[in-house]
Amino acid sequence: MERGTNDASVYELVQLMASLNDTRRAILLALAHIYPRSVSGVQLSRLIGYSGKSRSLYRGVISHLKENEMIQIDQLTPKLYAIRVNNEHPLLSVLVDLCRSHGSHAQKVYLKALEEE
Amino acid sequence: MDKLLQEAKALYKDRIRIVLSAIIIVFSITFFLYYTLGLAGLGLVENPGPAQPPEPSSSGLMVMASFNNLGLIVAVGLLVVVYKFWSWAFLPGPATLYTLSVLKGILGSNAVVKQAIGKRFKVMLENGMTFGVSCQIRIEGTEEWFSYRLVSAEIESDNLRNIALRHGFSTIDKRIVGNVSNDELHHRTLLLAKAMMMAAPAV
Repeated sequence: MERGTNDASVYELVQLMASLNDTRRAILLALAHIYPRSVSGVQLSRLIGYSGKSRSLYRGVISHLKENEMIQIDQLTPKLYAIRVNNEHPLLSVLVDLCRSHGSHAQKVYLKALEEE
Repeated sequence: MDKLLQEAKALYKDRIRIVLSAIIIVFSITFFLYYTLGLAGLGLVENPGPAQPPEPSSSGLMVMASFNNLGLIVAVGLLVVVYKFWSWAFLPGPATLYTLSVLKGILGSNAVVKQAIGKRFKVMLENGMTFGVSCQIRIEGTEEWFSYRLVSAEIESDNLRNIALRHGFSTIDKRIVGNVSNDELHHRTLLLAKAMMMAAPAV
């Protein structure tokens, strides 16, 4: 039984990830790996290799992800945002669990990229 | 970006250029018509003679409120209004074609896709459920072109929010909503249709 519901969630997660475009997918994967850490907009755009300005990333992509409750944004100061994946989301919590149990190597890469200034 | 959308983007940019040049041309023509024939009334002072000079303030007012000035403002305003309406109402042809073929392709030929003014599409699935797709040519301040907003019809379901979230959407007023970019349109429309089927009360 447990196994069955788990498979259903994983199936839905695969469907969800497949439906998103490159940028959104990269954001969710990166944030899920480094959860519970949060990053700023500039850090995020560097982390996913986004070539445009982080402001345009916010308007076009991050605000939409936030609307669909996939990520959470805390405003620390007027210009500084802390972005993290929404672990309350029924599917992304599955993703976070998967990353925790299998993604320790990828997590190291992501965290290293964050440390380098 | 899809080839059709690239064409549509180029067309859209051309359209702006054409409209700008048309505005300049019409502006010069109306300017010429209204101002070379003399300002209304003022050019027709019959006997300049020793008549008393007009009050400076009132003649200034007459110039400001003259028919020619109003006419020019109205003419240019009309042009801008027509252009605004045009770009609100219509998508460039190739983008319409892209949207229609993606929607038809994923939903099957039994789904009815109706086009409405204002860059909107109304889709009716085989089982009678409807959702709306509206297209935005460009999001201000980003490099993103042609993004879509999907809004389903109102659905009565206790589980709606959970179902919407599990398909990458959220809910507003019992509707499943989400913004998708043009390369996501295909797959996320599929997910929306699936979510609506799951949320719908069994028929």
